[in-house]
Amino acid sequence: MVSAELISTLRDLNRADKFYIMQFLISELAQQETDLVKSGLSYPVWSPYDATEAADTMLKVLHAAKTQDHE
Amino acid sequence: MLPRLKTMSNAERYPFVSSDTTLGEAGFRPYLPFTLVHQQISVTASGLLDTGASVNVLPYLIGGELGYDWERQTTALSLTGNLAQYEARVVLVQAVVGQFEPVRLVFAWTQATNVPLILGQVNFFMEFNVCFYRSQLEFAVNPKASASE
Repeated sequence: MVSAELISTLRDLNRADKFYIMQFLISELAQQETDLVKSGLSYPVWSPYDATEAADTMLKVLHAAKTQDHE
Repeated sequence: MLPRLKTMSNAERYPFVSSDTTLGEAGFRPYLPFTLVHQQISVTASGLLDTGASVNVLPYLIGGELGYDWERQTTALSLTGNLAQYEARVVLVQAVVGQFEPVRLVFAWTQATNVPLILGQVNFFMEFNVCFYRSQLEFAVNPKASASE
């Protein structure tokens, strides 16, 4: 929770210190994003990338069904 | 010169959904709510829009809810990545997205149960134009027919 005292302290900082605080917070946020992925853990990726044979087979089934619809 | 693309004026917009609240903004995913219909059975589902996926993927349990019998699906598939270890078979399903006309989607019905329902290039993205506005946590979906009108 951000206190009124903290806001007041930040407001009293000079321009250079305000820039420093801003850079510090951005750096902290970036670090937190990196921490979302823990080392040593595995994260499954379910996307079937480059499943070209499966894609081709599925399109053939789809086209065959469409042809059957029109007969 | 490239042809000018038409705007998606008839598109329906959907919000990104938080799949894990502990991840904050990094946890938002483009899940599309829609209905799958097979014979007289309809199932409401949420499909992950995955432009990197070659095919649509139907988790085993949802296929079962729709009344598909594994043994009757005779066209086998080999998937890639984490899904390669599971058998998969082809199923055709009617899908209703928002207020749009139903379309026929072809799915790789996998025996994996902990996989999300994936909407991929064949053939979800062949049937629908999708525009992602990740910075606004929204995406817009439009069927191909109305996009070419």
